[in-house]
Amino acid sequence: METTDFSQPIRQSAKGIIVIFAFNLVTFVKKFFVLFIAFGVSILRSKSIGNVTPTMMVLAVIGVLLIILIIAILKYLNFKFYLSKDDFHLATGIINKDNTIIPKSKIQNVYIKQNFLQQIINVVSVKIETAGDKKSEIEISALDKPTALLLKKKLFRKASSVSEELEQSESIEEPEVFFKVTPKRLLLEGLSQNHFKSFLLIFTFGFGLYSEFKDFLQELELEKHVEGLVELDEATILNLIITNVIILIGVVLISFLFSVVKTFIINFNLEVVEHQKTIEINKGLFNKVSLSLTPSRIQNLVITTNRVKQYFGLHTIAVKQAMVNVKQQKNFNIVALEKEQLDYLVNKLLSNYNDEQGDVAKPRPYFMRISALEMFLFGVVINGLSLAIFGIEMLWINAVFMPLAALYVYFAYKKAYYRISEDFVTIGSGVIDTTTNILEIHKIQSVKLKQTIFQRPRAIASLVISTASKSVTIPYISKSEAISIYNLLLYKVESQDRDWM
Amino acid sequence: MTFINPQIQIEDLPNVEDAVLKPISKSYLKIIALNGLVVYSLILGTLFGVRHLIKEDGFQDNFWYVFFGVLGLCIINFIISILAFKKRKYAVRGHDVIYAKGLIVHSITTVPISRIQHVEESRSWLARQFGLSTLKIFTAGESGSDLSIKGLHHLEAKGINDFISSEVNGND
Repeated sequence: METTDFSQPIRQSAKGIIVIFAFNLVTFVKKFFVLFIAFGVSILRSKSIGNVTPTMMVLAVIGVLLIILIIAILKYLNFKFYLSKDDFHLATGIINKDNTIIPKSKIQNVYIKQNFLQQIINVVSVKIETAGDKKSEIEISALDKPTALLLKKKLFRKASSVSEELEQSESIEEPEVFFKVTPKRLLLEGLSQNHFKSFLLIFTFGFGLYSEFKDFLQELELEKHVEGLVELDEATILNLIITNVIILIGVVLISFLFSVVKTFIINFNLEVVEHQKTIEINKGLFNKVSLSLTPSRIQNLVITTNRVKQYFGLHTIAVKQAMVNVKQQKNFNIVALEKEQLDYLVNKLLSNYNDEQGDVAKPRPYFMRISALEMFLFGVVINGLSLAIFGIEMLWINAVFMPLAALYVYFAYKKAYYRISEDFVTIGSGVIDTTTNILEIHKIQSVKLKQTIFQRPRAIASLVISTASKSVTIPYISKSEAISIYNLLLYKVESQDRDWM
Repeated sequence: MTFINPQIQIEDLPNVEDAVLKPISKSYLKIIALNGLVVYSLILGTLFGVRHLIKEDGFQDNFWYVFFGVLGLCIINFIISILAFKKRKYAVRGHDVIYAKGLIVHSITTVPISRIQHVEESRSWLARQFGLSTLKIFTAGESGSDLSIKGLHHLEAKGINDFISSEVNGND
């Protein structure tokens, strides 16, 4: 393997032209998709518009492709980067030249990604992210893997200001694969997910289809009814029930399948590698990603599980960092962890985190009143809709809804708690899922006390704690409690003089 | 090195409730009123415009009900925003900035100065006429943790701006 010298300005791998070309083509097609369809249809209909013949169209398409290719080549030629002692330099732009310099110490994250096309031509893209806004993201779209890994290592070396000694010990110590997901656990993970979302999605999709083809179906049914008159009535009713049940089971099965397939595609070959200081995550089927987590960059940890998952020992940990865009945020989830592995990881990412530290406290029972109110409003909407669409007999839906609403309120309150310990704030919440939110006190960016006009006579308030990645709320606690937490958190943040990243 | 680890008495910690919050400049009330009047007249204007466009009987007959309904909402909104004006208060302490606002949902936000990324003093045309300015305080990440204190006297805003800037730079 030849080692690449990053101190001189270099271009990415020549295969980058293909990647840039494909990328530009996709964005181009996306932009003009509607136009294409309109043109294509009208040409197919009348063979020509004005003097434009299909051959001319083909020529035009080839012309456009050529232009995109030329742009891709120019982009490739004008894309150069190099590393100086403390900074990463990048020069881009065909006509408008851009020169970007990123100090290594400001780099939040370096990902290595590989989409389907990149997997075929065997290159990876390197994405460099800073804590600034989205525009400051840099993507080098085609490097061969060893170069990419080397670049990543070099970018992180000065960034974490690791001393020479540590570096050596790091090179001696082989990184070990700490966790590797098995297909069986992934399957369980997919099956035990909260299916409400996919169910709703598929249900609305099916409903939409149904209302589209309603007229058509009605015609069909009329014919059936004419035939059905000859048959016994009971049989038709039975048939109707059976079809409904089959449809319902079908929808449930499809939503299960949907969740499982989604889980598999995203988390295929999920692997957690432990380094001296950082944790590396590798995963993905079509889009392979590899990212490292540095403890000091982590703002919040969110641990999710639910009843079924708990039974199988499946826990998901989501790592929130500053300003990572929403799409990327999803990649920071590690699914299907055993309890011990979870505890180990949490300890690795947050040093000295302890479950038992600090007292657990609960929100005021006022919490239940608010969730009951929410459920009541939801119930009113549901009743209104079902009355409007299906008529008065749909009121039986309340027989199902009421117990569910009661359970919702009960579990929401049961699972809500908070705990303030020496260095951490832990907040539990969830209804179907059990969510635990952990943040380090010295990473707090602001604290906010919220009280509505209705809560004032009852002396109840909520506390919103913001870090650079997320705001969490301690809901509905007594005002005096809220104030004392407020003061304590501020005192800790202001007296410690520790950096938030 | 002498290591001390004194126990913290929660009651002895500096209390936000003890901080004396200063109300913002009275002139800002005029800006609120002016802005409100412009918005309301726009809404009501559109309503009249719609009346000329839609000739349906059902709409024409009920127009005045709709009109008074909207007018009533505007008046309620106006009263609330005037009452809420009194709740807009701020304070700068040695280590943090406090801003309180809201009548129906009252909130007190505190941003430690060590977490501030940058400060900005912005003045709209209207605010310049009254000698006011808005102080924007940016923290990292989540936009929810940014503060924007409106209706400060220009000089006062400048003073706070300078103070925070020097503190932020001093920390580096």
